[in-house]
Amino acid sequence: MIEAPVIETERLMLRPHRADDLEAYAAFMAADRAHYIGGPYSRDDTWDTLMAGAGEWVLSGHGAWAVEARHDGALAGRVNLSQPDKNPEPELGWAVFDGFEGQGIAFEAACAARESGFRTLGHDRSVSYIYPDNDRSTRFAERIGARPGPGAPAPEPEEGHLSCLVYVHHRGEMA
Amino acid sequence: MTDPVLHTERLTMRLPEAVDAGLYTEFFADAEGSGNYGGPLRPDQAWRMLAQDIGHWHLKGFGKWILELRATGQTIGGCGLVHPEGWPSHELTWWLLHSARGKGYATEASRAAIAYGYETLGWEVVETHMRDHNVPARSIAKRLGGEIDRRETFPDGVTRDIFRLPRRAEMAAS
Repeated sequence: MIEAPVIETERLMLRPHRADDLEAYAAFMAADRAHYIGGPYSRDDTWDTLMAGAGEWVLSGHGAWAVEARHDGALAGRVNLSQPDKNPEPELGWAVFDGFEGQGIAFEAACAARESGFRTLGHDRSVSYIYPDNDRSTRFAERIGARPGPGAPAPEPEEGHLSCLVYVHHRGEMA
Repeated sequence: MTDPVLHTERLTMRLPEAVDAGLYTEFFADAEGSGNYGGPLRPDQAWRMLAQDIGHWHLKGFGKWILELRATGQTIGGCGLVHPEGWPSHELTWWLLHSARGKGYATEASRAAIAYGYETLGWEVVETHMRDHNVPARSIAKRLGGEIDRRETFPDGVTRDIFRLPRRAEMAAS
């Protein structure tokens, strides 16, 4: 069964998701700030997303990783390179769970996931779709070297949601 | 984990993969046929359902197989063991394209899935449940030797009979 490859960075281990990742991920997805990613989401919806992010590796050769702190194995977040069927390009996404923010974890994990996409999948670019009011994420995207991509297609918005800004990550021009 | 492949008289049961997107799209486009399975769904939603079904295997170590006719290689549906998040128990489940119904495939695949649950997964019991009005599913459960073990209200607020499905030996004896 094809699954997420384990990637180790200085402080983190990116690994395949496990069923017991649900607790921490569901807490993140149920919180108010999840409205920046189209939420908040129920525990059931989060479980579906967890399954889809694992299964996508078989379908597309990319998908989601759990992000674990190497020193104690705590689940700190999640990164993914995902391309749902209707999306025009593979998307780099990141989530840092409560209690792990402000430590550069998103930076370290997102760079590792993006690099893996470029190296092993041969992608020349990936994108991040970010709601225009999500200042924190647009700033973060800029910090890791992504730039707004005028002309880059955004996915059709879900009903009742804003259209996203498209930030483009180009191979070889990264932070 | 090695991908488990099961063989029955007429079917090969293998794990879902990318080539099955068309099968999922066709099944979930049929509002009547997919109504008990969360359908109808758009093609992109059906694709996500496929990803979820594969992910179930990764996260739980069991899941639904794709049913392929041994004679022609044609894919006709799915069958397997799943545990929906937050639900009181796992369940045996199956789904078939309209054209493949009424030929005993669900029963045939279910027997192999039940045996896998008892023998390979080592489960104490294999169960299934369905809404009261789902008459075709109830008759398949009975054909498999299933007996109503209890009645429970599920997290979705629906009360369902839960059938205990016997091991193969008990099936043969009954």
